Amino acid sequence: MNTLVVVIAAVVVIYLAYNFYAKRIDRDVIQANDKKATPAKMYMDGVDFMPASRNVLYGYHFKSIAAAGPIVGVITAANLWGWLPAILWLLIGVSFIGWASDYSAIMVSVRNDGNSMSAIAHKLIAPRTRTILFVFIFFYLLLVAGAFVGILAAILAARPDVPFGILMLALMGLLAGQMLYKMKMNLVTVTAIVVIVTLAAMVLGPLGQTKDANGKLVQGPVGQATVALNNAVNAVTGNASLYSVVDPTNADPRIPAPGADGKRASTAVYNADTGEIKTMPSYLFWALFLLVFSYLGANLPIWRFAQPVNYIGFWITLLTILLSAVGAVLAPLTGIKDASGAAIGAFALPALKDMGFALKAGAAWQPIWPMLFVTIACGAISGWHALFGSVGTARQLEYETDALPVGGGAMFSENTLALLSLVAVSIAGAGGGGGRFAAGVGKLVFAGTFGALPEAFGTALGFGAFVVIVLTVVQLVFRVMRVTLTEWVGEAVPAVKNMHVSTIISMVLTLALVLSGTWVYLWQLFGASNQLMAALSLLLVTVWLKSEKRNPAYALWPMLFMYITTLAATAVTARNLYVTIATKAGMAAVSVGGAWAMILVSLLLIVAALMIGYDGWKAYQRYGQGATTAAPAPGD
Amino acid sequence: MSDRPRKSIFQNLKEIIYGMAAHDMSRYAVRTRASMEHLFILITMGDLLGIPILPPYYSLRLLPYVVPQIATWKRRMLREKDVSDAMF
Repeated sequence: MNTLVVVIAAVVVIYLAYNFYAKRIDRDVIQANDKKATPAKMYMDGVDFMPASRNVLYGYHFKSIAAAGPIVGVITAANLWGWLPAILWLLIGVSFIGWASDYSAIMVSVRNDGNSMSAIAHKLIAPRTRTILFVFIFFYLLLVAGAFVGILAAILAARPDVPFGILMLALMGLLAGQMLYKMKMNLVTVTAIVVIVTLAAMVLGPLGQTKDANGKLVQGPVGQATVALNNAVNAVTGNASLYSVVDPTNADPRIPAPGADGKRASTAVYNADTGEIKTMPSYLFWALFLLVFSYLGANLPIWRFAQPVNYIGFWITLLTILLSAVGAVLAPLTGIKDASGAAIGAFALPALKDMGFALKAGAAWQPIWPMLFVTIACGAISGWHALFGSVGTARQLEYETDALPVGGGAMFSENTLALLSLVAVSIAGAGGGGGRFAAGVGKLVFAGTFGALPEAFGTALGFGAFVVIVLTVVQLVFRVMRVTLTEWVGEAVPAVKNMHVSTIISMVLTLALVLSGTWVYLWQLFGASNQLMAALSLLLVTVWLKSEKRNPAYALWPMLFMYITTLAATAVTARNLYVTIATKAGMAAVSVGGAWAMILVSLLLIVAALMIGYDGWKAYQRYGQGATTAAPAPGD
Repeated sequence: MSDRPRKSIFQNLKEIIYGMAAHDMSRYAVRTRASMEHLFILITMGDLLGIPILPPYYSLRLLPYVVPQIATWKRRMLREKDVSDAMF
């Protein structure tokens, strides 16, 4: 298997799915019509409702949905089950479920006066559905923040060559905001300055790295400074860990990948004999650093920090994606080899690993069904897209016929980003988690530039892009969590209306999840909640199609698959948490507390999903019997 | 089919890049301006909602300048909103 085969397979599958399935649904079932006025035209207020060109909207939708999900999920899944199940799910999922979810959420909103998903659910399904969705969204955001902060803290603590670039990103973000909005400087000049400086800082991280006589990596000047900082922080406890955690799935970024003999080596924070991961003070320090970064993003005026950081991040990510994509095509054609003499285009990761169906008492259970389908969320299907599409994109759609190229097109594009991540992970010979991804990007960039950019710098760029993508999402998530928390409990607890209070509450909850140490469960729970939200949006689409007397099959079957799969995955994750941490002897109190908290969240998600499912089923039956209006609200 | 003008590949690419890089920034700027304008209308035309903040004499003097904004203002103020509106 090589990278070019994946590129060709992706092009063929996406072409067929878009032209022969998606377009048919758009034409025959939804019957998108250029002549119908969209909410953007009917209710144009120059602000929320404003028609935009479909090209602009495609870029806007893609940027808003393509974040860390398609990268992190693929990395984790490929490590757990091999690259073949991952690629199959990505291609089949996007062809039959993913695009349908994104596109339909936009169209449902367009046909319902540009209302949000929760408002339409309130109208079509049941009044309480809206409230349940809000609860759902808050826990979903909490899980996103926990999973992303956890993986970033592990990378920053383990890779001394990465933090400098991130620090400079923060400074350049502040500078860009100042130059653009206060000094009114030209956008092109500002872009050139801040992007070049940030890229240079990312490359400076690994500059000067060498290997000693034993083959051990010796950091350059920037890396050494970070190591000194980590050592100073760890000296607070005399280099003793705060506590230890165990990840039975070995998906935690702090656990190194197995060597050629299949065994994992012990590191400063990982004991290969016992499987214990030491939570060092430096890990806590970098987690707090990320929270401070996110605090600025969530509370400073958005133009001052969050937007410029995202803007710089966009250019770095775009550059990395383009170079990697070129590398993926060129590597097998040119037969270019890496420093060790291995062909870059060839896959190093096994196609299939253990499918995980065997259930062992007291051990984590990771059966490929249902766990693969929640581990890879974005890239195949995602609830976030539906949420965003119904509010952000639907209100700017100029013509109904733009919904497919914008919603469906952006989803297929995100799928290619996930496939690119899979390629990067699969060709990398060593490293774990984000490290494997960055190493793969390093090789692709090396191939894409015909060897002009050394692998070490490409790897630094890969790490930088990965951290930047995740970080821009994290600060946005905290901003959204703050707003959600205020809307949710602000009336009952007035103190929460204060943005600093609501942000700190969100961050404390997130930190509690991060420090519980069970990163993979956190990720899978996030994936499950994300996929459940996608299933619920498809449920809404199904009920709407039924109410409109249209054939709901294209949304109904994917909805049923996602609904059952994700409920099962949430239950399996809760079981794993219970067996491997909550009731296991010798676990640290913080891990046990975190595990119980996540079990509670799992149960809440299951109950919420069952309630919405029941209401949806009742509504479906009601419309099947000829009803034309929703059930009356209590008290109406 | 729509009667949309044909665009060159360069123009299409330019729009996509703008959509990815800066459309959310311009949307936020527009929202900020709208919030300010709405606040101004509330202060000057509060009588429309039964809130007499400014003496009617001054409101009437300002009315011609605010007339174009009133329809949009009322629509935005009265539109049903929820958490997801605040999110994006």
